[in-house]
Parts: sequence; C-alpha cells; structure tokens
Amino acid sequence: MIRGLAGALAGYAVGAALVAAIRALTGVDPLAAEPLVVAGFPFALIGWLLGVGVWQAWAREWVGLDARPAAPPGWRRYFAYSTDHKVIGVQYLVTFTVIFLLAGLSALLLRVELAAPGQAILPPATYNQVMSLHGILMIAVAVSVIIAGFGNYLVPLLIGAEDMAFPRLNALSYWLIPPVALLLLTSTVLGGWDSGWTGYAPLSERNRVGQIFFNLSFILVGLSSIIGGLNFLVTIIRLRAPGMTWGRLPIFVWGIFLTSLMSAVFTQSVAVAMLLTLLDRVFGTGFFAAARGGSPLLYENLFWFYSHPAVYVMIIPGWVLALEVLPHFARRALFAYRWAVGGLAGVVALSGVVWIHHMFTSGVPFVFLPVFLATTELISIPTGVIFLSALGTLWLGRLWLRTPMLFAIAVFFNFLIGGITGIFLADVPTDVQLQDTYFVVAHFHYTIVGGEIFGLFAGIYYWFPKITGRMYDERLGQLHFWWMFIAFNLTFFPMFGLGLAGMNRRIADYDAALANTNLFVSIASFALGASFLVFLWNVIVSWTRGPMAQANPWRARTLEWQTSSPPPLENFPVPPTVVAGPYEYGTGRAHAVLGGAAGGDD
Amino acid sequence: MRTNEGAARGPATSVRRHTLAFVVAWLAATALAFWIVSGTEFNPPGGSAEAAIIDEAFRFLALLAVPVFTFVLVGLAYSVVVFRRSGPPGDDPRPLPEPRGVALGWIVVTSALAIFVIVNPGLTGMAALGWFEDRRPDLVVRVEGQQWSWNITYDGYGVTVPKATELVLPRDRRVRFIVTSKDVIHSLWIPAFRVKIDAVPGIETTADATPNRLGSFDADPLYRLQCAELCGTGHARMTARVRVVEQAEFERQMASLRAEAGR
Ligand SMILES: [Cu+2]
Ligand SMILES: [Cu+2]
Repeated sequence: MIRGLAGALAGYAVGAALVAAIRALTGVDPLAAEPLVVAGFPFALIGWLLGVGVWQAWAREWVGLDARPAAPPGWRRYFAYSTDHKVIGVQYLVTFTVIFLLAGLSALLLRVELAAPGQAILPPATYNQVMSLHGILMIAVAVSVIIAGFGNYLVPLLIGAEDMAFPRLNALSYWLIPPVALLLLTSTVLGGWDSGWTGYAPLSERNRVGQIFFNLSFILVGLSSIIGGLNFLVTIIRLRAPGMTWGRLPIFVWGIFLTSLMSAVFTQSVAVAMLLTLLDRVFGTGFFAAARGGSPLLYENLFWFYSHPAVYVMIIPGWVLALEVLPHFARRALFAYRWAVGGLAGVVALSGVVWIHHMFTSGVPFVFLPVFLATTELISIPTGVIFLSALGTLWLGRLWLRTPMLFAIAVFFNFLIGGITGIFLADVPTDVQLQDTYFVVAHFHYTIVGGEIFGLFAGIYYWFPKITGRMYDERLGQLHFWWMFIAFNLTFFPMFGLGLAGMNRRIADYDAALANTNLFVSIASFALGASFLVFLWNVIVSWTRGPMAQANPWRARTLEWQTSSPPPLENFPVPPTVVAGPYEYGTGRAHAVLGGAAGGDD
Repeated sequence: MRTNEGAARGPATSVRRHTLAFVVAWLAATALAFWIVSGTEFNPPGGSAEAAIIDEAFRFLALLAVPVFTFVLVGLAYSVVVFRRSGPPGDDPRPLPEPRGVALGWIVVTSALAIFVIVNPGLTGMAALGWFEDRRPDLVVRVEGQQWSWNITYDGYGVTVPKATELVLPRDRRVRFIVTSKDVIHSLWIPAFRVKIDAVPGIETTADATPNRLGSFDADPLYRLQCAELCGTGHARMTARVRVVEQAEFERQMASLRAEAGR
C-alpha cells in the first residue's frame, strides 16, 4: 500500500508537471489548481495501481518478466493485492462496512445540527458539505457492498467454481476503491463540495475546487462497478459447475447476474455527466452552462438515466440476499422461484425507462410526465412478485428465527413501507408536493437502509461462520437486530410526517413549528447509531475469540456449505456436480455431490 | 406417491385452518387501518384549488394502500408468530406442492391495482389540475431565482421587486408562474399551494396555482416561497413570505409597489 501511495505521488507529479509545462509554453497561468489536479489524476491512478500490486502480479508479463504472486500468507493477505475472490470479497466487505459506519457518523453530525431550529454546530456551508459527503459515501456503499462484497465471496462458491472468471480484473476493481476514499478525504480537507451526491450542474460548475474530487471519485466508483459487473456476467455464464443449470441457480446468483447487467449497461451515462462537468470547469466547454449554450437539464437526464437503475443496483442484491436466507431458515423451497426470477428481470427491464420520475418538477416537456408516471407505477408489478415469493416461503414453513432470518424478514417489512410510499412519489400530482421534501428522504432510507442494509446484515450473520470459521454470538446478534430495527423505524418513520408538514430536504435550518419532531428524530438517530456498537463488539470478539464453526451450522443445502469453513483456496477439494435444485428441503436429495458421480444423499 | 396422498389429508385441513385464520386477521387489520387512515389528516390545510386536488389524490392513495399493506404485514406477522420453531431444524418435512395459479392470480391483482393508480389519481389528477388543456391565467407572475433570493415581476402591472421579501397574490385568480434562474438551478415551492417547479438557467418553466384562501406567512408558515432545489450555502434560507389578499387590496399593493419603485 505504501508502494501504491508512492506510485500515486510519482504519477501525479508526472501528470501535473506535463500540464504545467504545456500551460507555461502556451502562456497561461501554469499553476492553476484544477487543470493540474484533473490532468495529474489519471497518472496518479496508474501509479497507484502499479505500485499496489498490478506491476508485481500482472504487468511484469507485459515487458517479458515473470509475474510474482503479490499476496503474503495469513491475515496480511487482506491488506495486500490478492486475486483470490474470497480475499477480495472480505476486502470489499470490511472497507465498505467501515465507510458505512463513518458515513453514519456524518449523518449524526447532521442530526445534531437539526435537533433544534437555528444554528447549533454547523454553519450552513459546512452543513451542505457534510450532507454531500454523507450522501456520496452512502451511495458508494449501497451500490457496492453486497454485490462486490458477498457477490465476490459467494458467487464462485455458489456456482461451484474455483474463482471468478477474471481474477486480476477483480483485484483491479477493488483497488480502485481506496483512491475514491483518498479523493473524498482530500476534497474535505480543501473545504469539500456542497452540491450533494447528485452534483447538479451548473452549481457543480461554480462552486469550490472540492467539487472536482467528487466528480473524479464518482467516475472511479463507476469504473470499478462496470469492471465488476462484466466479471460477474462472464463468471456466471461460463463457470457454473456441471449440472448447475439456470433453473438451479440460487436466487442470490440470479440477483447478482441481473444487477451486473444493469451496472454494465447504465453506468457509462453518469460517468459522462461527471466528465462533461469537469470539461466545463477546466476547459470552459459549455455542455451544461446555459450562458454558453448548454443545458442543465441534460445533466439531470444523464445523471438519472444511470442513477435510477442504480437504486435497483442497490436494492436487488438486498432482496435476493433476503430471499436466499428465507428458504434455509424456513426449511422449504423458495416459493415461486421461477416467477421471482422473472420479477427481478422485469424490474431490470423497466429500470431503464423510468428515470424522469426524479424530474417531474424539473421543467421537462410535459409529454414525459404521464408516460413516466405509467412506467414507474408498472414497476410495482414485478416488485410485488418478490413479495409473493417471500410470503409464500414463510407461509407454512418451520421458521428458525436466528439473527440472519430476523434481518431477512425485516427487509420485507421495511421495504413494504418504502415501496408503498414510492407510489405517492410516482403519481405526478402527489409528487409535485412531495418532491424534494423529507417524504423523499424517508422513502429512500426505508428502501435502501431498510431494504438493502438490513439484507447486508442478514448476509453478514448468515455467512459469518463460513467466512471467518468462527460463530458469532447469537444473543448479541438478536440484541443488535431488535435495537437496530426499532431505532431505524423511530428515526425514519417520523420523517414522512416532516415532509408532509412542509420540511424540504437538504436544509441546514427549518421552521420552528417542526422542532419537536426533529428533536425526536435526532434522539432516535443516536439510538440507531449506538446499535452498531453491539454489532462491532460482536464481530470483533467473535472473529478473534468466537467458538470454531462447523462446515454447515445452518444445515443448509447450497454449495458454499458443502466445503470447510472457511473454504480452502480454490474452494472445493474436488469439483462439485450439481444434481438438484438449491432449496429442495425434505426430498432427501442433495443439491450437489463433490466429484463427478451422480446420485448420493444428504 | 400413494403414501403422500394419505399423509396429505392431515396437513390439508391445517392449511385450510391457517388460511382462514389469516383471512380473518387480514380483514380485521384492514378494517382497523381504514378507520385510522380515514381519521388522519395527512396534509396540513391547503391554500389553493390545486391543493384540494392533490390532497384528495394523496388521501385516495393512502386508502388504496391499506389492504395491500395489511396483507403483507399480517402475512409476515402471522408466519413469524404461528410458524416459528424454538430449536434447530430436525428432519425437514416433505415439500408441499406449490398451489397452482397463485402467482398468476397475484400478478393479475397487482397489475390491476397498478393500472388503476396510473389512471386514478394519476391521469385524472393531472386532468383535474388542468394540465391537459390550455387554461388562460388571470395573472402572470415572473419569478427569477438567484443565489439566494427571488426577483419577482408582476406582469401587466409594471412592477418588479428585486430580492423580494414578499410575494402578494390575489384570491381566486389563476396565477401562472413563469420561472427561470440567473445562476444555478433553484425551485419555486409554495407549500400551502402544493405548487413546485424548478428555476432552470437558460429556459422558462411554468406552473399554475389558484390561491383560494386569504392567508399570510405570519399566520401559517406554509405561506412561503421556498427554494426546494439545493443551490448552495444560502439554500435553506432562500425564502420569501407569501400573502394572499382580495383583488382590491392586491391592486392597492401593486400601486404602492409601483410608487415605491418610481421614487
Ligand atoms: Cu428512481
Ligand atoms: Cu435556491
């Protein structure tokens, strides 16, 4: 990592010097900050990647040398460039859990400021910066944590493969993430940016230099997400074990497959928006500047053309993680499996044609409104099928209410509220009033935190014994669940009321009539924050000192449980053959056998 | 298969019992929720003809959501309470066959609901707001946003108020706001009127509102012109008071504003 930083500095120096020289030769101020940063950045990135391990493990081959494995053994491999999908999965999970907690702390800062009307600790400019930072950090967590964390760790295991299709690309996509953290940190030191996670132009073309770090880091997250998406697509298409037909694919793998499709198709659009903003700022082009013939609405279109599908990139992994957990703890098949896959595909298909619902009051031509009202409401149909699958699986099951199961069930409670309130936002007449209010804030926290992040915790507890080889503490797990579940609802439910009562979002101050509810929300948010202390304690103590876990503590059928905890390098002692569906409990037939022989039993 | 048929008779009656209990619980929860929802004022008192239409749409959607909400909620709660087992799983029961037609029926019902809300209150609401026809406004007010204040021009009165602290409007007149911005994107929002439209540099956007209740910011904080789109440091305080007066009083206000500007 030190080598990576050195590489980054060297690269930056080269890039910046190049630009300074060109500018000096053409007679413009050679030391203007923004061109230097923007031009130095790609060089710094290449320097970082080469230094951190790409050179050692990969690029040496390009100049005729032998590549050397860069990963040291033992726990140190988690801090080094590794191409093992399980190491990369853990790197992603831990990195994003840490970012999630930091972004949560920034939210608490906001809630301190909002606890009472007037100014408490954050002047308005600082408030906007903290709010923007909170937004983009959480967005980065939400688009990556499950798909890149659990996706990397589990997809090869669940399909019976040794690793991902492109292990080096996989490592590359992870090592693009630390520079994002570095960029956002640098931005904060330089005074941050104040245009939220949406970074709307032309505000983003007129504010302080911190903005360009936001744009650069968004492009990086996007690049990482496209590379990761392509890798999953190829892995799932090409590396399934013999007998793992599409109809026997665990629902989690289906979800990652369809999500990857969205990442690969839509992400370019937001990268373009970010890039054009940079060009406007640095080279004085006019893509989004009205005075130079540009269109601010073009930015919004490019932005939401990605960022609506992005909410499904966030939520589908949460849904399928919860759906993956339900059958194993209800001891029966996933209800309406084929329909659920169809439902996910339906959401993905519609996700590309609904983005204008973020722009109903933006001044787009009127003709768009009824059309996008309709497409948006139609998404509730495939979404409903996911609910049918969940309810049908629980119904008449034998529910073993362990921590992962509690979190998985809560996903559907929370998303029920998030989904139904979404109808009010999709219906144009009601949206006119609700757009840009706390009603929207409540709605998307119910879907993303209540849906995806609860799913994330279901996954963390479910696969904790598999990943760490040790068992977490069940009592602390359940305490964490109930604490987080209650505090989450107390924090976000009253926000619907705040929105209806006329509180708009992204404001550092509000009308005194809303003081009581805001104080309540602030107190609840601290209770929510405190629930993660239970989680951290449980994880740290259990990972270091917990009792050793069996290979299959949940008596689950799927492939990751048919190997040791944690699995060996390249996953299975002998390649598995799949002989039946993943959720056929009570049939006496196994999902897969190790080795090529068909048949066998539980 | 033969043994399966014999064994299935026992579970079949218990399935019927659970289903019946679920339906009863769902109906009871739905009745209770209907009662709560119909007694709840979701929106604060409105101040325009449009507010009445939008609030009615909200109320209708809330009522429509009740049976859907309770169905899932009671389904989850019933399962957790009735089907829970205390210990780890023993031998797993034989799998139940998936009842045929459930998924298809579910999709038919949810599709019908989705199409219904697209039409009503979606399209009907937009029609009631007059968005599908070319209604003539009684008064045109041009509003220009800038960081962080509003410049207001009353068309036909020759009155422009830069950095306005107050927006005065006559009662029962359809007002058309023609909105733009000098610098970044802002958004014109008057919560009491349920009207919102972005102020975008380089283009003009429009929105109509018909105030139908006398009122002012001092009596009701929702009578305010508020920026609703993040626009920088002063965003939260980018507001102006709104006052709705009778037409005669409005004319007097315009005259005095004109006189002020002339001086
Ligand atoms: Cu959306
Ligand atoms: Cu503004």
